[in-house]
Amino acid sequence: MTFIDLLMLGFSEAITPANLAFCLLGALLGTLIGVLPGIGPTATIAVLLPITFFLPPLAGIIMLAGIYYGAQYGGSTTAILVNLPGEASAVVTTLDGYQMARQGRAGAALAVAALGSFFAGTVATFAIAVAGPMLSGFALSFGPAEYVSLMVFGLLAATILASGPVLKAIGMILIGLLLGMVGTDQATGAERLTFGAIELFDGIDFIVIAIGIFGFSEIIANLERSGSEGVKLAPLSRLWPTRDDFRNSWGAVLRGTAIGTLLGLLPGGGATLASFSAYSLEKKVSKHPEKFGTGVVEGVASPEAANNAAAQSSFIPLLTLGIPSNNMMAMMLSAFMIHGITPGPTVLTTQPEIFWGLVASMWIGNLLLVVINLPMIGLWVKLLTVPYRLLYPAILLFCCIGVYSMNNRIFDVILAAGFGLLGYAFRKARCEPGPLLLGFVLGPLLESNLRRTLLIEQGDPSIFIERPISLTMLVATVILLGLMILPSFRRTRQEAFQEEEA
Amino acid sequence: MARPTATGTGDRPDLLSAGLFIGLGGLGLFMARGLDTGTLAQMGPGFLPRVVCVLLIAVGLAVGIPALRRPVQAIDAIRLRPLLVITVAIVGFAYAATHLGFVLASLWLIVAGSLADPGGNWRHILLLAAGLTLFGALVFVYGLGVQVPLWPF
Amino acid sequence: MTITKSAALAAILTTTAAGAALADWPADRPIEMIVAFAPGGGTDIMLRTLAPFLEAELDAQFPVLNRPGASGEIAYTALSQARPDGYTVSSLNTPGFLTMQIGRTLRYDPADICPIARIVEDPGTFIVQAGSGYQTLADLVAFAKENPGAVSVGTTGVGTDEHLAMLQLEQAAGIDLTAVPFGGANEAKTALLGGHVAMIGLNVGEYATSDRNAFRALAQFADERSILAPDLPTAQEQGFDVMMSSERGLAARCDVPEDVRAKLAAAVDAALADPEFQEKAKQQALPLSFKSGTDWQADMPVRLARYTEIFKLIEAGQ
Repeated sequence: MTFIDLLMLGFSEAITPANLAFCLLGALLGTLIGVLPGIGPTATIAVLLPITFFLPPLAGIIMLAGIYYGAQYGGSTTAILVNLPGEASAVVTTLDGYQMARQGRAGAALAVAALGSFFAGTVATFAIAVAGPMLSGFALSFGPAEYVSLMVFGLLAATILASGPVLKAIGMILIGLLLGMVGTDQATGAERLTFGAIELFDGIDFIVIAIGIFGFSEIIANLERSGSEGVKLAPLSRLWPTRDDFRNSWGAVLRGTAIGTLLGLLPGGGATLASFSAYSLEKKVSKHPEKFGTGVVEGVASPEAANNAAAQSSFIPLLTLGIPSNNMMAMMLSAFMIHGITPGPTVLTTQPEIFWGLVASMWIGNLLLVVINLPMIGLWVKLLTVPYRLLYPAILLFCCIGVYSMNNRIFDVILAAGFGLLGYAFRKARCEPGPLLLGFVLGPLLESNLRRTLLIEQGDPSIFIERPISLTMLVATVILLGLMILPSFRRTRQEAFQEEEA
Repeated sequence: MARPTATGTGDRPDLLSAGLFIGLGGLGLFMARGLDTGTLAQMGPGFLPRVVCVLLIAVGLAVGIPALRRPVQAIDAIRLRPLLVITVAIVGFAYAATHLGFVLASLWLIVAGSLADPGGNWRHILLLAAGLTLFGALVFVYGLGVQVPLWPF
Repeated sequence: MTITKSAALAAILTTTAAGAALADWPADRPIEMIVAFAPGGGTDIMLRTLAPFLEAELDAQFPVLNRPGASGEIAYTALSQARPDGYTVSSLNTPGFLTMQIGRTLRYDPADICPIARIVEDPGTFIVQAGSGYQTLADLVAFAKENPGAVSVGTTGVGTDEHLAMLQLEQAAGIDLTAVPFGGANEAKTALLGGHVAMIGLNVGEYATSDRNAFRALAQFADERSILAPDLPTAQEQGFDVMMSSERGLAARCDVPEDVRAKLAAAVDAALADPEFQEKAKQQALPLSFKSGTDWQADMPVRLARYTEIFKLIEAGQ
C-alpha cells in the first residue's frame, strides 16, 4: 500500500461516527483537566483505563490520546490567565502570556497559543506519518553521554529565561538541582536530603513546587500589593490577535515546531526541554530580546508550538518501537495491551488500521481542539473580569485539590504551602523562579545519565567528545557561554534589567 | 528584615538572595553529611549534592559581597496578613480533607482564605464557599474520581 | 518469635473486638483496596481488573485507593494502621516487601501484615538485542570471564529484582558485570535498543509484551518455566543457580479474623478460575499463579534469608 492509501485508510477509520465522538470526548475532557491546575492527564487516564475494556481498541486509544493532547491545550489557559503552569511544559508560557493578560491582551495570547499549537500539531502528526520509524532511530542514538551534554546545554540556556542578573539565575538553577536530588538515590537506594520523611522518599512532585511557588505565592503577593480591590487588569483592548501579532509570531511558531518535534522524541523531559529551548532560541534570535518577559507574542507562540509538537512526537517511540517515553505513554501502552495489541513494528504491518487510524485521529483531534477553543476564548477572557475577591478562593481550592489528588495525602498540600512561603521569599529577593523549575526537571536526568556514562566507561570522561551528537551539544554550550560573557551581550541583559526596574 | 526607611549601603533584595542561596547550600551540605561521595567512576549518592551546594554557596557569596557596597535598596513592604492567613487556610484544608472530609475542608479553605482580604462581605463569602464546595464535590470527587471522603463519617 | 507472639496477641484482641464485625462480614460497607503504586502501573491495573470479579464473588464494593511511594512502605504503613475488621486490604509485592526489611528502619512491623493470596508470579529474565551474539547464558558468561566489567547490565537500581538476579549470576558463574541503573524498565529497553548497554533485566511479563523481533531472552529465573514463556529455559536448567521472581498479591492485617481472611482468599481463588478473568489476564500478559496466603507466607522466610545473603554481597562490594 502506498503512503496515500495508508493515510486514507487511517482517515476512513478515524472518521466513523463512534471514533469521531470518542475523539471529541477525549479532547473535551483533556481541555477540562488541563485547565484545572494540578489535575493531570496521567491520573485521569488511569481512572478511565478500565472503561476502555468495553470499547473497541481504536476508540479507546483515540479517546485517551485526545485527553493527552487536549490537556496540553488546556494547560496554557491557566498559565496565561492566572500565572499558574499546570505542567512543566507550560512554565515558560507564563513568562510572557501572563504579562499579555495583564495588559488586556489575554485573548490574543490564547488565540496565538491555540493556533500555534494547531500548526505544530499538524506538522508533528505529519512527521509521525512520514518519518516515524526514521525519527525513532534518532531517539535511540541518544545514549547517556548525549543526555549529559544536552542537559548541560539546557541548563545554561535556562539562564536566558530570566531577565535579571545571570548570577541569580544560576543560583536558582542550583536550588532547582538540589530540590531534584531529594529522595531515594536511584543508583544506590540511599535516601538523600529527606529530613527522614517517608513521603519524600520518591522525591518532590513537580506540581507541588509549581503550585507553591507560582500559584500560592502569586495569590499572597497579589493580596499584599493592595488587597483584592487593587488586582485589576488593564481593560480588554481587543479579543483577537492583531495583524502585527501574526506577523511577529509565525517565525516563532515554525522554530518552536521544529524544536518540539525533535526533542519530543526523547524520553523524560522532552516536552519541557522543548518549550524552554524554544523560548530561549526566540530570545536569542529576536531583534528586541530585552522585551521578552514583558508580554511579547513570540514568547507565547514558540513554547506553545514546541510543547504541542513534542506531545505529538512523543507517540513515535511508542508506536514504532513499543517503548513509552514518559508516564503518559506508559499508560497508553497499557491501553494497547488491555486489548492484546503490542505496539511496535509488527503492528505497523499487521494492523495498519490501528496506527494510521490513531495518526489520522490525532490530526482531527487537533482540529477539533482549535474549533472548540477559539470560541471559548471569549468565555475565558470574561473570567478575568470576575472580581479577584471571588476568583482567588476558587484558584486556592483548585490548587489544593490538585496537589492532594496526586498521591492522596495531606503531606503534599502542606509541602506546597511551604513552597508558597519560599516563593514569597524569592519574590522579595527579586529572584525569578523559572530557572529553578528547569533545574528541578532536568537535574535528575543530568545526574543519573552522568553517573551512568561514567559507570559504563569505567570513569573515563573522553566519551563526551568522542560521540558526535554529544560533541556538537558541548560546542554549542561553549559558544552560548562565550556569548554570555561577551560584553555586548552583557549590556543587553543589563539594559533589559534596568528597563524592568524602571 | 529591612524596612523601606533603611539608609546607608546594601542592596537588600540581593542580600536576601545571597542569604537564601548560602542558607540552602549550607542546609544541603549539612543534610548530605552522612552520604558517601564515592569516586568519579562509582559516584556515591553524596557526590553531586555536595558539588551543587558548594557552587550554591559560592554564587551566594558572589551575589552578596558586591551587594553590600551598592547604594541602599529596600525590600518591598511585607504585609503579614495575607501571608499568614493563606498559609494557615491551606494547612487547615490539608488536615481537614482526610479527617473531616472534603465538604468541611473546602468550606474552611474558602471562608478562612477569604479573611486574607479585609474588604470581604460575609454573605458573599458564604455563598461563594457553598457554591465552590458543591462544584468541587461534583467535578473533582464524582466527576474525576479524586480519592477523598466527602463527609467526616 | 515475633510472629507467634503478635499472632497470640491478635487472637486475644480479635475474639473480643472484631467478633461482632466478623459475624456479618462483608456487610454493606465497602472493602477498601489500597494499591502501593500509582494508577496505571502493573499492580494497579491488575487489581482494578480483579476488583469487579471480587465484587461479584463477595457481593461487596472494592474501591481502589492508591497510596504510592517508598516502594510500598507508605501503603503497608497505612494498612497496618487500619482497623483489623477486614474492610481494608492492600496489594503486596515481593521482593520489595522482603528486601525493605533488610537494613532499613520501617514505619510498620512486617509481622503485622499477612498475605491473603498470591495472584501472579512473574519470573525475572535477562534480555539482549535480537542481533546479539549471546544465544544462551553460557555465551554471556564465557565472554564476561575474559572481559571482567565489560558487560554492562541495565537494572532499575540497587537492590531491585534485576540487580539481585545479576549478583546471583556473578556469584554462580564467578564473573564480574557492571550494573547500570535506569529509571525504569522502559528506559532500560531504550538503552538496550540503542546499544548503550549489553543486557537488561526484565520480568517475563514485560518481555512477553515487547517486540520479539527486537529482543532475545537468555533465561528465566524461576524453578518452573512461566506460562508466558514456555520455550525459554530457566537459569537452573542452564546450570546457573539464579532464582528471582516478583510476586503480586493481596494482604491484610494479621489480626483480621482467620475466617475473614479465608473468605477473601477463596474469593480470589474463584475469581482467578473465572474464564472471563483469565481472558483479561492473558491480554495483559499476567502470569497468573494462585497461592494461598498461608503457603505464600511459608515461602517468605527462605527467600528473605536468600536476599539477606545477597545484600551482604552488596555491602561487601562497597
